[in-house]
Amino acid sequence: MNSFGAVVPLLVVVGAALIVFLLEAFLKKENKNYLAYLSLLALIGCGILSANAWNGGLTYFDGMLRLDNAALFLTFLFLIAVAFVILIGMKYISLQDANHGEFYGLLLLALSGLMIMVSSTHFIVIFLGLEVLSVSSYSLAGLKRKDDKSSESAVKYFLMGSFASAFLVFGLAILFGTAQALDIPGLVDFFKAGPDNQVLGVVGLGLVLVGFAFKIAIVPFHMWAPDVYEGAPTPVTAFFSIGPKAAGFAVLIRLLAPYWNAGFRSGKLFGFLWALAALTMLAGNLIALRQNNIKRMFAYSSIAYAGYMLIAVLAGDGAGLLFFLTIYMFMSIGAFGSLIALSRKGREYNELGDFAGVGFKYPWIGAIFAVFLLSLAGFPPTAGFLAKFYVFVAAVNQGLTPLVLIAVLASLISVYYYLRIIVYMYMREPEREVSIEMENPALYLVLFLCLYGVLQLGLFPGNVLYLIKQAVAALL
Amino acid sequence: MELVFVFLIFGLLGVVLLSMNALLGPKKTNPDKEKPFECGSPYLQNEIKPFPIKFSLVAFVFLLFDIEVVFFFPWALIFKEMRGPALVIMLAYGAVLAAGFIYAWKKGAFEWD
Amino acid sequence: MIPPGYFFILSVVLFVLGIIAFFFKRDLITQFMAIEIMLNAANLAFLALARSSNFVDAQVIVFFIITVAAAEAAIGLAIVLLIFRKKKTIKTETLNSMKG
Repeated sequence: MNSFGAVVPLLVVVGAALIVFLLEAFLKKENKNYLAYLSLLALIGCGILSANAWNGGLTYFDGMLRLDNAALFLTFLFLIAVAFVILIGMKYISLQDANHGEFYGLLLLALSGLMIMVSSTHFIVIFLGLEVLSVSSYSLAGLKRKDDKSSESAVKYFLMGSFASAFLVFGLAILFGTAQALDIPGLVDFFKAGPDNQVLGVVGLGLVLVGFAFKIAIVPFHMWAPDVYEGAPTPVTAFFSIGPKAAGFAVLIRLLAPYWNAGFRSGKLFGFLWALAALTMLAGNLIALRQNNIKRMFAYSSIAYAGYMLIAVLAGDGAGLLFFLTIYMFMSIGAFGSLIALSRKGREYNELGDFAGVGFKYPWIGAIFAVFLLSLAGFPPTAGFLAKFYVFVAAVNQGLTPLVLIAVLASLISVYYYLRIIVYMYMREPEREVSIEMENPALYLVLFLCLYGVLQLGLFPGNVLYLIKQAVAALL
Repeated sequence: MELVFVFLIFGLLGVVLLSMNALLGPKKTNPDKEKPFECGSPYLQNEIKPFPIKFSLVAFVFLLFDIEVVFFFPWALIFKEMRGPALVIMLAYGAVLAAGFIYAWKKGAFEWD
Repeated sequence: MIPPGYFFILSVVLFVLGIIAFFFKRDLITQFMAIEIMLNAANLAFLALARSSNFVDAQVIVFFIITVAAAEAAIGLAIVLLIFRKKKTIKTETLNSMKG
């Protein structure tokens, strides 16, 4: 149904971002927290509007913007993630350096990019969304202007990110030249017809996939991720770990879903993706073993998680992928939030040694962090277990047993480094005096909500699975 | 085909001219010859020094606003067909640009002293 | 008239040159210029392929890519400037504060 309503949620977010930027220039320094409240208000408004569009199938701009249920579900996911990131960032941003109101504005712009990416089936619109996301991400990574690491991560993200975009654009050009179309249905028709230009088309598709593999940090296109994750401000890292990844996978399943029933598992592309998934899981987890900086360790863990998500794509399990992304959002933001709980004025505590004895000194934070770590490692009854379980079962049913064996092996490796943090927290004497800023209600609210999400989804995932079922119906 | 010939002829000619100089030219040198050429007068400084980058912000803002104008050309072409909606769309576009301009202004991008 | 296929080949050559320059150059501005060359190679490819297939959509796409490249240039140059102010150099070897 062609309706202007399809654009309104996006307009709310973009409008709020512009107002935040303008107010940022005019407001006094001590009033910058109002910008956070304004952004949260916009997120709630966008959420209500999107909820009204559920099952509506609204489209606009000649079908270029398509609010189907899959797009709406991911939009909800992003809204929650960005709301969490704003809440955990409020105190952090003012503690680390000057209170940058740009943090909220850029996050909203990045969110609008994510929303554009997931709610279109036309590659040019997807590319524009990706660029809106990327350009705001580059500046988000460098937000701590006085910090060397932060600037370095911004420049690395910028170079590798725009390098990847160039691949993507060139791939699109070749696809356009061979298939005469850039919308996903048109491309699918072209590849199913199998005409003479197939080779050039596959080259184009390969370049596009390389571009996306950079963005979702799949080995061997992951080299930017650890540095960027380590240097960026921690709330921004939490955003990077879920936002671009989820949007990239959304595009990937939109592109590959039409093939799931038609000889997908015998094609050449399948073998290529299979190898990437195996490599990503193994390399991510193995390199994470020897990290002493926890943010960097989480960066490698998030690379490994991209590998698990790729299994869901290979198994043709869209519902499993969305469920996995939902759970990963809660776990990842919870884990990074726990790291923020330990940061103090002008300084962060990210080294493994900083966590020695934290479990006794701050029992609540220690316990909550431990739950997130156990969930990331995949222990029942947390949601992390259920997420991997669903995906692995779906993969075994599709005859991907060797890949699942590799995945299980990789998860076993990962247990070691997640548990190492818990061991440090509970079984080591403190090396350094670490004090925690306790007056940060927004952060504790987020930690509590993430904990609730991880346990609720691990024990009673029924409601969310029902929504996901409706969302995936739009894809197939 | 003639294009290939053009490239061949001019390419070969270029290579020949370049290599002739290296082959046949005299290779005598002296200290004065190695100096940078500054219209016969002795040079004033030894290298190109880094110069102040106060204007960089203006350059960035110019870069953005300069490129944004590309969308006015297709807009002008279809304006007669679309009329009202086209005007509204361009006003919204202009509003976004104006917001960016006000932000840059207020942040002091145009003050250079 | 020169056939559009030649322009496509030129764009492929430019793109490959961009990749090579990106990997072999050791300072940020030159690497950034390599990326711009790659993006413009894509523009040329779009135009060449649009010409050969009489499909005008590509010309609109080129407008978008030009704008996106400008936005990236503004952000990227600002970030490079930030690095230059801190380190007084833009050589990539100096970007080594994170290891592991």
